[in-house]
Amino acid sequence: MSNNTNVRIYEYDAVIVGAGLAGLAAAKELTEAGKRTAVITKLHPLRSHSGAAQGGINAALGAEDSTELHEFDTVKGSDYLADQDAVELMCTKAPETIRWAEHMGAAFSRDAEGNIAIRPFGGQSKPRACYAKDRTGLAVLQAIYEQAFRAGIEVFDEWYVADLLYKNDKVYGVSAYNIRNSEPAIFNAKVVMFATGGHARAFRFNSNAHANTGDSLSIVARHGLPLEDMEFVQFHPSGLGGSGVLISEAARGEGGRLFNALGERFMTKYAPNAMELASRDVVSRAIMQEVREGRGVGKDKQSVNIDLTHLDPQIILTRLPELRELAIAFQGQDMLKEPIHISATAHYSMGGIPTTINCEVRKNPIQTVEGFYAAGECSCVSVHGANRLGANSVLEALLFGRHAGENMVKKLNEGIKLKKATKEDANQMLEEIRRIKTSNGNERVSALRAELQAGMTEKAGVFRTKISLEEQLSHINALLQRFKNIRIDDKSNTFNTDLQEAIELGHMLEFSKFIVYGALIREESRGAHFREDFPKRNDEKFLKHTYAYMDNEFNITHEWGDVVITKFEPKERSY
Amino acid sequence: MKFNNETRKVTIKAFRFNAETDYLPYIKQYELEVGKDDLVLDLMNRIKWEHDGSFSYRRSCRHGICGACGIKVNGKPVLACKQNAIELLDMFDNDITLEPQSKKRVIKDMIIDKKDFWEKHAKVKPYVVANVESHPTKETKQSIEAFDALLNSDLCIQCGNCHYACPSLEANPDFLGPAALNAAYRFSIDTRDNASEERLKLTSKPNIGVWDCVKCFECAQACPKDINPIEKITKLHNMQFEYGIAERNIATKHAEGFVRSMKKHGFLDEADIVVYSEGYLGMYKHLKTAYKMMKAGKIHFTDGLPFVDNVPKSKNLSEIQKLIKISQTNKL
Repeated sequence: MSNNTNVRIYEYDAVIVGAGLAGLAAAKELTEAGKRTAVITKLHPLRSHSGAAQGGINAALGAEDSTELHEFDTVKGSDYLADQDAVELMCTKAPETIRWAEHMGAAFSRDAEGNIAIRPFGGQSKPRACYAKDRTGLAVLQAIYEQAFRAGIEVFDEWYVADLLYKNDKVYGVSAYNIRNSEPAIFNAKVVMFATGGHARAFRFNSNAHANTGDSLSIVARHGLPLEDMEFVQFHPSGLGGSGVLISEAARGEGGRLFNALGERFMTKYAPNAMELASRDVVSRAIMQEVREGRGVGKDKQSVNIDLTHLDPQIILTRLPELRELAIAFQGQDMLKEPIHISATAHYSMGGIPTTINCEVRKNPIQTVEGFYAAGECSCVSVHGANRLGANSVLEALLFGRHAGENMVKKLNEGIKLKKATKEDANQMLEEIRRIKTSNGNERVSALRAELQAGMTEKAGVFRTKISLEEQLSHINALLQRFKNIRIDDKSNTFNTDLQEAIELGHMLEFSKFIVYGALIREESRGAHFREDFPKRNDEKFLKHTYAYMDNEFNITHEWGDVVITKFEPKERSY
Repeated sequence: MKFNNETRKVTIKAFRFNAETDYLPYIKQYELEVGKDDLVLDLMNRIKWEHDGSFSYRRSCRHGICGACGIKVNGKPVLACKQNAIELLDMFDNDITLEPQSKKRVIKDMIIDKKDFWEKHAKVKPYVVANVESHPTKETKQSIEAFDALLNSDLCIQCGNCHYACPSLEANPDFLGPAALNAAYRFSIDTRDNASEERLKLTSKPNIGVWDCVKCFECAQACPKDINPIEKITKLHNMQFEYGIAERNIATKHAEGFVRSMKKHGFLDEADIVVYSEGYLGMYKHLKTAYKMMKAGKIHFTDGLPFVDNVPKSKNLSEIQKLIKISQTNKL
């Protein structure tokens, strides 16, 4: 297959990789502006993980709420690492964005007046999470897909993007293959956007979809472009005890209480004011601390209880029906009758591909790459800083996805030129596929992946130390070597998911190294990143964004980027 | 068979076929240890990761919200990531075969070509037809009742389980099927939408629309989200009458015939319903069936003759008539 004669070259104005909220919102803007746009996804758009968001999407719609308050909560939640200009843009545009989604047909729950219903969420000073029962992401994803479909977007579903076309500071397309028949192609475009979502699959205990393997991060990094703040991975307090599948923060928002094995409502110790509704990093550490001190429940005492039995059953049945079903399906526990076992689960990536406030990808802290955009979880515009607030991710994806689309339209209208691609541009992808298919070693992809995931959860998880991180770093280096010695069973060209999982593992190993590296050099504790050997935040040294770069031998280097601070000076953070 | 508290050792069969390399499909067996919390998707993962990497299936979210992993187990439609494995093993006496949703559409193992599913979906205008304001300062008001009227039709995750379980669809490829009809309902009932009439016209067409549903309830059984598509199909029937879109044809006359018979006798007059919906000439098509029904005592040879009323009357006839009067919302 490394022969490139059968590589087809498609030409578009814009190519978007990923078809969740961010990708579809951009595609809709571009298509409606008359730009020839291709959306490429390794799934079907409606299978995107945006649809898994449960609890809500933030906008200051409440009578007592304000966008400024939303900004403050977001910045405080971020442990002051968020870029405040981007936060301001997001919070100011949040109300119109949610209403836009509503106009598109999103089936939001309603209050008695017929307005979009709102509920409290962690780390928020007012009820602010607009919701559609406990399937908010699904409602919004469906609405944006439906209207994008109506606008006539062109989707290449079940296509795998394997490489970025990048030369002389300019991006001009991607190479990809059709998963159905392995047919390779070049998507040559004037502007390219990455909107590929999260990468918490790198952890053993995680809430993410199988698809969330963070492919685009290492695709970018392989070209010497930086990744920003990768050490900040959010651990969600309420993953189901056995599987890590998420029980939304709405469970706490609606009044769920946390108890340890002794029946103590332990949040009184960790966040006496906000209690269960403290920020996610705070609650996750509290849970894991209880578990570490032997007060856990369930299998191997690795969980704590969340109790909703004191709530009116109607609240659970009408506002949390999916959550109830999940707990029944996954661990046979009915929240109407008994407490549910939960534990902190790797959930969301604050870091990613660095972008400007207009979603242009950065080449370094000061320069950008021409024709290249990113939005949503794979990107780091930095609205979440060191810790994201619940119900801000769906907002970010939809809002910045659209914003990226608008900026791409603008760029195209300014007359950006197409740099012609050639068939040779597919060579790197074809070589990667050939190498994996013909590699005849004795390592199995699934075994290497399990080792990576176990190490990430254990050594680069909720609690980190210099020693644990160094161990994980050398473990990853060893895995990268062993990865060269794999063998896959499937050599066919039809739906070769064996091949795909191998390619994805390659990506996971590489971006995981960024996570561990970033955690090692950041000798402080901030937001979701907690160093037991440096338990305090250190603004003097580390009120900075990490920009890390990888060379061909997977060696990583870094530099620091400035944090944008406008309205809110860093203060101590307590809940 | 070995049993203990935690796990059970079983042999799982899987349908295998690769359209690229295989002439015929075959069944392969895998020895697996199954735990009490294991889901069908866990078993598929273990087959792929520990036994044979070429075993292929679609999956993503692993908690029942993306709709990628719909398959069949012993012919029963399941969403692999939501279906407990032990439950199925108990149901089928530890003998289960993993199969694709539709064998004739298989590309590889569990993966089928869903083109027909998406085409049907696209036909019903699956979106709210309204002018979407770009920068709205207000949301559209919608009452809680109006939201509730969606009846969870918006929860459909397009897994295709109902679509590939529907026998009508299997027999008539033009039929829209339960998933697309559920979508037709979801958007038509939405207070923000302006295309319900168009959708109702489409779904009232013979051969395509709701009248080809045979009310077997397979779709309700197959749906992993408990959406109950047939309920939505029934709602569409009613809406077609409410909007005055239902045309006078065999199908609507058939529905009307039911009410007519109930009103008259409190019982179903099997012969009359045929005569009423298809006319005397149409009736002759069914003589063979009529003969069988006569032998089974379901109809009498004088049935269907004009001016002969030999159907017994229910002793609760007046009550039934009252009930019809109270509950009937549509003028047939």
